Amino acid sequence: MIEVSGLSKRYGAIVALDNASFSVGEREIVGFLGPNGAGKSTAMRILTGFFPATSGTARVGGYEVHTDPIEVKRRVGYMPERVPLYDEMVVSGFLNYVAEVKGVPRAARRAEVDRAITRCGLTEMSKRLIGNLSKGYRQRVGLAQALIGNPPVLILDEPTVGLDPRQIVDIRQMIKELGAEHTILLSTHILPEVAMVCERVIIINHGRIVTQDRMDRLTGPDRGKSLEEVFIEAVAADQQAATRTEMD
Amino acid sequence: MTHGFRESARNIWAVCKREFKSYFLTPVGYVVVGMVAVVSGLAFTLTFFMFAQITQSPSQYGYPSVPDFEETLLSPFLVFCGVLIMFLTPLITMRLLAEERHRGTIELLLTYPLRDREIIFGKYFAAMGMVLVMMLVLSVHLAVVSYFVAVEPAVLVFGVITVFLMSAAFISLGMFVSSVTRNQITSGVVTFGLTLVLYVIGNVGADLPAQGPVPAAWPELAQAPLQFLYGIFRALMAELALDAHAKDMAQGIFQPKDIAYYLLFSAFFIFLTFRALESRHWRG
Repeated sequence: MIEVSGLSKRYGAIVALDNASFSVGEREIVGFLGPNGAGKSTAMRILTGFFPATSGTARVGGYEVHTDPIEVKRRVGYMPERVPLYDEMVVSGFLNYVAEVKGVPRAARRAEVDRAITRCGLTEMSKRLIGNLSKGYRQRVGLAQALIGNPPVLILDEPTVGLDPRQIVDIRQMIKELGAEHTILLSTHILPEVAMVCERVIIINHGRIVTQDRMDRLTGPDRGKSLEEVFIEAVAADQQAATRTEMD
Repeated sequence: MTHGFRESARNIWAVCKREFKSYFLTPVGYVVVGMVAVVSGLAFTLTFFMFAQITQSPSQYGYPSVPDFEETLLSPFLVFCGVLIMFLTPLITMRLLAEERHRGTIELLLTYPLRDREIIFGKYFAAMGMVLVMMLVLSVHLAVVSYFVAVEPAVLVFGVITVFLMSAAFISLGMFVSSVTRNQITSGVVTFGLTLVLYVIGNVGADLPAQGPVPAAWPELAQAPLQFLYGIFRALMAELALDAHAKDMAQGIFQPKDIAYYLLFSAFFIFLTFRALESRHWRG
């Protein structure tokens, strides 16, 4: 569903993403794992068409992000990292607007908004001002706006950051359920989260993809390693490789 | 892969509606409309009193007889309304794109299946909607006047068109400034500064001497081109001024070049807004 090959993004001298290639299959939940500033958000922003890559290609559902941005955007529901929302709007009003710009036909709009509201447990908050919502509910609104229009692909940038343990459990449960119908790419720097939610993991460090494999193959009983060990080893190996090339 | 006209229109409408509603979900809309009501009401009353005094003793005010109503009251009032809107447009336009950037909602806007033109025109029309609301307030005065006085329809029609076109020009300038700033205050102040400059250069241009300040001692070869350049500069100062093209129209004289001026002015800044929004494709 998502195919990325040789993707790079440079901001002046800073390399945010360095020749990254990975793919996500249909109805797969893939965790994008990496330390802060590793390039997770950059990759996601390129995939959602927020800004272009310096080089390389990214395809969603067969459409290239740079040449067919509208087709890609129709297929992707995106929840940005800090969940920016229009504070002066009411939850249902905002979601109705999202349904409109995502091209949900007028007759189906109401049902679609209700579906997203119910799905994300926002029924009691639907008439509240977004600016007055707690962090947890804002996060749910962020997820709800991504779900509107029922896009086949969901890209969620750190969906559980800043939530209390109870809310984290709720959101993770929600994501797991959504995985039955959607292809999900979610980023996080919380290791247990990946172990709990994802079927496959892509580890990224300094803009480079260092490991990508199925969860059971990385941490399966025959390997006898926890994800934490896998992660630290992979990142350390990458660091060493980087210093070696620098010395050469 | 056809992105039809209907679809574009629907998306523009969706963006426009949200933007326009936001004016009235925050205090901005009420403040702007309230200010228009109060200030234009005061100005209208004052010009009306003035006109009443003039009619009673025209000679005292230097008029041989009772002066023309349209010329002394209506068109100056319409031009004043244009200036009033000029002062208020920064409040309308400053948030258009700067606020999306500041709050980060631009990340949502640019990842929804919308084209740049739908975003830009949606926002432009929302701001123009605010102008229409302002003009609705102003039209109360005009309605009162035309009820009691047989006003030359041309003055009313062209006057209103002028105020509208002038506002469209201010709005497009403000939208462009908003598209290159992140901070709303910066956006508003820069817009205000620019409109003020464009407003006063007309007076400067009118006061510049016809002959350029080139020293007579300079060789003949230098004189001619420098005078020529000075002539262009002087003409630009006079012609670029935002109010220079309002006066004739507000008196009911149809001037295609004035209409063209305002349309080109708007088109130019809308074009720049497109380029500013597109710059995300090549900027780091």
